Amino acid sequence: MVAHLVRLKLTLLRNIFRRSLAQAIGAVVGIVYFAVLVAGLAVILATFRASLDAARVVIPLAGAAGIILWTVVPLFSFGSDPTLDPGRFATFAVPHRDLAVGLLAAALVGLPAIASTVLSLGVVVAWSHTALSTAVAVVATAIGLLTAITTSRWVSAIMTSAISSRRGRDVVAVLGLLLLVVIGPAVSVVANLGTDLRELATTAAGIVAWSPLGWAWAAPGDVAAGDLGNGIVRLLLAAGLLVVVFQLWSRVLRDEVDNPRAVSRTDSGASLGDDLGLLARLPGTPLGAVAARVLTYWRRDPRYQISMAMTPLVPLALLVPFIAGDVPWTPLLMGPLVAFLLGWSEHNAVAYESDALWLHVVSGVSGRDDRRGRIVPALLLAAVLVPVYVLVGVAVARRWDLLPAVLGLSVGLLGSGYAVSSVMNVVLPYPVPESGDSPFNAPPGAAGITIAAQSLASLATIALTAPTTLLAWLAWQGSAWAGWAAGLVGVCLGVVVGLVGVGAGARLYDRRAPELLSTLRRT
Amino acid sequence: MSDITDLPAPQGGPADGPAIALRGLGKRFGDLIAVKGIDLDVPRGSFFGLVGPNGAGKTTTLSMVTGLLRPDAGQAFVLGRDVWSDPVASKRLIGVLPDGLKLFDRLTGLQLITYAGLLRGMSRELASERAAELVAALGLTEAQGKLVVDYSAGMTKKVTLASALVHGPRVLVLDEPFEAVDPVSAATIRRILSGFVESGGTVVLSSHVMDLVERICTHVAVISDGTVLATGELDAVRGGRTLEERFVDLVGGSTEVVGLSWLRTSSD
Repeated sequence: MVAHLVRLKLTLLRNIFRRSLAQAIGAVVGIVYFAVLVAGLAVILATFRASLDAARVVIPLAGAAGIILWTVVPLFSFGSDPTLDPGRFATFAVPHRDLAVGLLAAALVGLPAIASTVLSLGVVVAWSHTALSTAVAVVATAIGLLTAITTSRWVSAIMTSAISSRRGRDVVAVLGLLLLVVIGPAVSVVANLGTDLRELATTAAGIVAWSPLGWAWAAPGDVAAGDLGNGIVRLLLAAGLLVVVFQLWSRVLRDEVDNPRAVSRTDSGASLGDDLGLLARLPGTPLGAVAARVLTYWRRDPRYQISMAMTPLVPLALLVPFIAGDVPWTPLLMGPLVAFLLGWSEHNAVAYESDALWLHVVSGVSGRDDRRGRIVPALLLAAVLVPVYVLVGVAVARRWDLLPAVLGLSVGLLGSGYAVSSVMNVVLPYPVPESGDSPFNAPPGAAGITIAAQSLASLATIALTAPTTLLAWLAWQGSAWAGWAAGLVGVCLGVVVGLVGVGAGARLYDRRAPELLSTLRRT
Repeated sequence: MSDITDLPAPQGGPADGPAIALRGLGKRFGDLIAVKGIDLDVPRGSFFGLVGPNGAGKTTTLSMVTGLLRPDAGQAFVLGRDVWSDPVASKRLIGVLPDGLKLFDRLTGLQLITYAGLLRGMSRELASERAAELVAALGLTEAQGKLVVDYSAGMTKKVTLASALVHGPRVLVLDEPFEAVDPVSAATIRRILSGFVESGGTVVLSSHVMDLVERICTHVAVISDGTVLATGELDAVRGGRTLEERFVDLVGGSTEVVGLSWLRTSSD
């Protein structure tokens, strides 16, 4: 069983490279980029071998952060891999324990696990002071890594079942909001607490080392420092934690396999009435119909609702450094950030519809109508959010003199974002959760291409806005003319780049619609 | 809309040039040649059945006719218009029901049909009027306000068919239209399609249910392994036997079951 699951995972990884050439290149670029990053971090970790005191502060903190990242990140981006979705194994009579062990082993084969293993090697090197400390480090780090992965599986499984019920969705949304609200005060408390960062870190490491998150990461440090008793206690505690988490996960797994939620449909399928809805309210043209349909989807598809809910909230995070750390300029970026997110987030919109696009293709919808119709809803949203955040940001920062520059930068980013998105949609759609799946579920083996496409879209958007950004920066430096120039250039360039980009996307669509459809079917 | 109503009336009679003509149409996927240069004529006003085993290339062929999949070789014509060099004109003439593709299933049934009409450039009044009429004709009235995602497989087929019919096409290309459809609904669909053919339209459908094809089609083509093995009027192709016998004969392959002795549980 274990071997089967691992082989399945390897096949999925290999299949990343068997899609179209563009996607394979994207995946390779993404992987190389992250390989370099991870290797660099591992080397940095290894250099802490030089100072045991520093290592005993940094490594428990980094390890605890690793466990938290493993737990939280999949919920928001890459998701629990649905090939490893326990519900899928419901029809096979696999013993629960075999399944649990097999799924863990398969999770170890993924790219994130490989990256974590490389980082762990750095940790082991940092602890290799004596033979005993090295041995303990190998065991403890392995325990830490397995704990991270098991916890990640466990929390994802709980969240996936929570999110598939309406009440669960509401609870998760409320928790997310609470977290966002709490971050601000928490950061300011921490900022006011310690003026000495090193002292703060040492205190934190001391606490973390005795918390479940830190046991495994701190144990080798105790041994290396000669405190054998503490080291053994922590190692035992860490092993115990792993057993507990594994048991918890096995239990969720058993529930999932015994009552698979994929089979039962909770939706009552209530009638929404015979009204045509938005299709009756927007102009009765192909363009209007596409726009009305996209707007309808925003209301009805949870995958869109997640990003709809996040986009207006993210800029609020910029208030945190302003309030907590007296950083005067961050609120000014609220408008530009929301504009960037609105334009950029469209770059894979077509993938969410999957091959339902066939209806557009057989109907002979022109690229112009298709591209423009899709942009309309995002423009409507931008027309509300961007001015609000530009004004609020400028007002909070009390820099009304910078209003033209901030507005120009926002419009510029919005236009560039739409331009890049219109083209990227046709050229490089990448896999997304399927309609009806949990929005937290990511398709298998898509992390590389996802990262590559998202980075490409961001870089292209930023590059296209470079002139405006430069002028806005000069305005911030105190140049009055640059502020007005940034406003003028930003608005003009934003509109022109937007129109040219959407036009290019439309021509590409006209030429490549069947190929786009084939790509969407494969992804 | 005027574009559609201004079209010439269908010219009945198979003599007036084929409704669909394929010339050397071919497609390969990597090492697999799915369709090996097919020549095929679908006469106007015919009820044309495309039969073949799983993986024969039926869906691939139909996708190349409907503009969903670009062929690697050859041409496809719909009423004389080249699908790939003149897509706008040819797409206006055909209605399509693909198999195994998703729908915009977060729309209600009524919305989906209207949406298909609007995408075709029809006015909203006409599109919604016809959508309501199609919903009634296909017996979807009770479900018209529900999301398509909550439809059963048979209802989904019916709503897709309605989307294919809403703009009044001259040629219908249907991939497995009767799959997962209950007998009552199948009879309804059959009546609608027969009426469509009687008024001069042309229907091409693929199926692997031989009985059904035998009952409703006037013409058939048997394809297997990417080539046409036989085509023509139904009686000519089956040559005095049942279509199923003729089909097995043409496609080859044995119907004998080899092995599986452990499946016979009498030894229990």
